[in-house]
Amino acid sequence: MRVPESDQASTFSVSPDALPQAGPSHLKTNGHAVNGGSNGFKSPIAPNGVSKRSKTPLSRVSLPGTALYDDSSIDREEYVRLVIQSLRDVGYTESAATLEAESGYVMETPEVAEFRQCILEGEWADAEVALLRLGVSEEDGFWEAKFLISQQKYLEYLEVGHTTSALQVLRNELAPMHLDPEQLHPLSSLVMSTDAADLRHRAGWDGAHGSSRRRLLVNLQSYIPSSLMIPPRRFSTLLDQARLHQLSQCLYHNASATSSHFSLYSDHRCDRDMFPRTTTTILEVHTDEVWAIEWSHNGRWLASASKDKSVIIWSIETDPPAISQKLTLRDHEYSVGCLAWSLDDTILLSSSEQCVKMWNTQTGICIRTIEAHADTVSALAWVPDGSGFISGSQDCKITLWGPDGKQRDSWGLTAIRIIDLAVTPDFTRLVAVGESVAGTSPTPLARGDAATPPVSTGRSGAATVSNSSGAHGEHQMVVYNLSTKQQELSIALEGQLTSVKISEDSQYALVNHAPDEIHLWDITTGRMARKYTGQRQGRHIIRSCFGGVDGNFVVSGSEDGNVYVWHRDRGVLLEVLSGHGSGSVNSVAWNPRNKQMFASCSDDCTIRLWEATASAPHGLASSSRAADRTLAEQEQEHEQGGKGKGKSREPWDDGAAVRRGSRSTSS
Amino acid sequence: MGMSYRRYLAGARVYGCSNCRTHLATIHSMVSRAFNGQHGRAYLFDDVVNVIEGEPSDRQMTTGNHTVRDIYCCKCGVILGWKYDKAYDPQQKYKEGKFILERSLLVDVQ
Repeated sequence: MRVPESDQASTFSVSPDALPQAGPSHLKTNGHAVNGGSNGFKSPIAPNGVSKRSKTPLSRVSLPGTALYDDSSIDREEYVRLVIQSLRDVGYTESAATLEAESGYVMETPEVAEFRQCILEGEWADAEVALLRLGVSEEDGFWEAKFLISQQKYLEYLEVGHTTSALQVLRNELAPMHLDPEQLHPLSSLVMSTDAADLRHRAGWDGAHGSSRRRLLVNLQSYIPSSLMIPPRRFSTLLDQARLHQLSQCLYHNASATSSHFSLYSDHRCDRDMFPRTTTTILEVHTDEVWAIEWSHNGRWLASASKDKSVIIWSIETDPPAISQKLTLRDHEYSVGCLAWSLDDTILLSSSEQCVKMWNTQTGICIRTIEAHADTVSALAWVPDGSGFISGSQDCKITLWGPDGKQRDSWGLTAIRIIDLAVTPDFTRLVAVGESVAGTSPTPLARGDAATPPVSTGRSGAATVSNSSGAHGEHQMVVYNLSTKQQELSIALEGQLTSVKISEDSQYALVNHAPDEIHLWDITTGRMARKYTGQRQGRHIIRSCFGGVDGNFVVSGSEDGNVYVWHRDRGVLLEVLSGHGSGSVNSVAWNPRNKQMFASCSDDCTIRLWEATASAPHGLASSSRAADRTLAEQEQEHEQGGKGKGKSREPWDDGAAVRRGSRSTSS
Repeated sequence: MGMSYRRYLAGARVYGCSNCRTHLATIHSMVSRAFNGQHGRAYLFDDVVNVIEGEPSDRQMTTGNHTVRDIYCCKCGVILGWKYDKAYDPQQKYKEGKFILERSLLVDVQ
């Protein structure tokens, strides 16, 4: 338990009140004027002063062996020294001194402390001597370390306006080290800085009174054995690593970083019951198949597009829960296939065949109808800076529109009939998927004629599909540079690609691939990073999305009427959620604000909202343990069933042909 | 059932729906021009795309009794012809699984 006092206050309050015989306590004010971490520790003599000054000198406890526990692999000395370091960091100086006395281990030798003090106080000449005394030889990089020190010295002279001294350092210390001119030139040009602020800005350096000396110390750390000088906050670093490891092991992790309580007392694990896997609401108003759903950015409205030629905007409030049908947008001549909310949620786009409609989301009035595309508009996406939106069409065109619906730019004819496209959140790239245009090449046709009769439409129950995806010929994922509109990457794939989403870090594209696969592509390298399997997809447009806190999950619809959820990084299938009626689950969408909720839509004319069942933070222990067990089994199966253990953890090549900057051919 | 986009064909000659130009068949998959429909001349094709098939019904045709389904354009819903499910006369078996499109309802789209 901590006394509710600030560190600073306790430092000063202790000294006057301390008992005279409590020897080390007066060192506290000396040694810890600044309590800014271990680097702030300045008293080189603390360990020595302890036992002498204590009233009852502590005898050293002698323990057998070197391990912390009999059967542990942790070195007792290392452990104790880290404890001493953290005790000092927070200001428990006496405890630290006591521990040093009792254990016989010191956090660091007086030489290290002296070196630290020299750096922090800017005693540069002494620092170099101290560095030598630490046994840093020329092979260990003494000159590199000395360069760092001289550089700091040079900058500090410049900062206080001692240009002459600075130039001396430059000439006599930095220049003779025959460095790359590229390293030296920027340094020498800093002489031209107008004032200290300008210097700090140009050098990207925060001055002698900022954190620069402490940073220098961190950089120097790499030249000094860590057993000699322990890296700062080492214990805490290790605990942070443990926390990250536990998070990566938590399959159902869906708690935000701030609210996620992490206790050292027990391992972190999110309860499966806290995961949105139960239908809490069924929205049954559409009179035909529901094909697309999109959440508004504020997470309060859900738009749904249906084969019944209408779009419904639903109001979905969670606090208190209230769900209603806000608006119904009709006037579509055909079924509606795509939706996109503007960044401020004031405009909703819908596409129906070759038409794009812009709707006012408050009044439900159609602001504008765009009929510039010659064929079905299959993708709509607002540009991340709000300057308009992009449409992609089966007519092979990608067009950029202003927020007023006026055409601003066009990609011209692309090599694919667009099926879906997405813009990276960092606003640098556009990723489109679609079917390669056969052009005049008779190859796909001959294939279709001779071997595989093309499926009529997929709408007739009689049509049996033996090779449903291959029948269409070749498909591609194309990555464009958004500003130049140049193609950066093109990946040819055999199966139909029906959906593309981009990860929050703009690094990965999530692509549905028929039959029965979802791919995660690294769009910078053009390599497949993960593959998710389990869902059924043959003939229809099935869409998937990332979801949850940090986009930890991948969710997809499926032609078997279930919703599939995977752990994004581990590729493990977590949930197969049933509930929708017969037909496909066409699309899924995770609430962007309420990460504990997502929606799915189906051929059964309904939309389902999925939420967690447990409202209490602790679910039934027994049931969750059972769930863990089945998961562990499942994961094992998954790994055995895969093409090799560990494969799903590494980025791996699928053998798909990748060409940079040019159209690629199929592998 | 489910959402899908219309298919696009490529070739020397592509026939489309005269009402909405949806691609239907190519000349490469044409089997015969010597058929008659309700609106005059009709073509027999191996494969037709982008059509919806209706319910099967038995119809007495000039070449005998057949089980057929009407086929509709998947975009505009116009009846374009029919598909042969079954031919009762062994001589006519070759038609099974093939499609009739009426010439007057077709347009060259490419």
